[in-house]
Amino acid sequence: MLNHTNEQWINDLQAEGVERESALADLRQIILTGLPYALNKWIPTNDPRFASLAEEVAQDTLLRVLDRLGTFEGRSQFTTWVHKIAVRIALTELRRKRWENVSLDELVEGEETPPMEALMMDHQASTPEELVEGADLMQRLQRIIAEELTDKQRQAMMAIAIKDMPLEEVARRMGTNRNALYKLMHDTRLRLKRRLAQEGLTPEDVLAVFENR
Amino acid sequence: MSTDNFFKKIIKRLKAGKQTAQPRAAIPHPDEMMGKLLRMVENTDEVEIGCDDVFELLDQYIELEARGEDVSRLLPLVKRHLDKCRDCHEEYEALARVFEATTLSNG
Repeated sequence: MLNHTNEQWINDLQAEGVERESALADLRQIILTGLPYALNKWIPTNDPRFASLAEEVAQDTLLRVLDRLGTFEGRSQFTTWVHKIAVRIALTELRRKRWENVSLDELVEGEETPPMEALMMDHQASTPEELVEGADLMQRLQRIIAEELTDKQRQAMMAIAIKDMPLEEVARRMGTNRNALYKLMHDTRLRLKRRLAQEGLTPEDVLAVFENR
Repeated sequence: MSTDNFFKKIIKRLKAGKQTAQPRAAIPHPDEMMGKLLRMVENTDEVEIGCDDVFELLDQYIELEARGEDVSRLLPLVKRHLDKCRDCHEEYEALARVFEATTLSNG
């Protein structure tokens, strides 16, 4: 089975009866062989949940492979294409489980809001000039974000950039998909970058002020 | 979320990070947090491809890279996306581990 060409895989999976069954069994084994390597940073293979996850992922992968067989363009080995699908299915499930008890509202809204003065009070060791510069910059950034970004963009940016929530999980909670959310975030970043430039600021300048305090 | 709240959150994090007692272990250092936000903006390109396009090319990308090809020249938009998108980068790393362990060991 390891020496199958791409064409043989496609032919066997499109065939009827024994050939197809045999190809599916081989492919299932190939997926199960790859998953421990794919997931070793996520879940130990001796974790009791690993075996059932792997079985579930292998089954879902086979279904998706059969469903999308016509889209395989032969730009890689067929098995690499299959492993790619298995990885996506497995990580989607692991991310879902890892974040299942976190709501987007709680994540970005759930804390008490401190007064603006807190920022100043917090930097007593800084020089007055640095304090003024930092506070002024914060106000400018506030204004830029208020004027350039929608609520949705602000919420997504907070969850992804500050809270390290996966795009996929933010997208699920926002009723969109990962690809659309990436594009929303790209638009968000571009708007901020252009506006900073209009204001005569570069991200590097702003970074320098915040990182040197 | 209002703009006001967005920045109040950031300010709260700036404040929390300066204290010695951290009520929540997951709170990032304030400089790191602000740095993340601005670095995202700094690394933004005019043209970027989305996660779907990257997924379509990821198997090819992994194989090219494993053969020692210059992927940043051959598939620059994929490379740039992987540098920015945590979800896609995690999948790239996972697939690269599988490819290295299974395909290469089989000759």
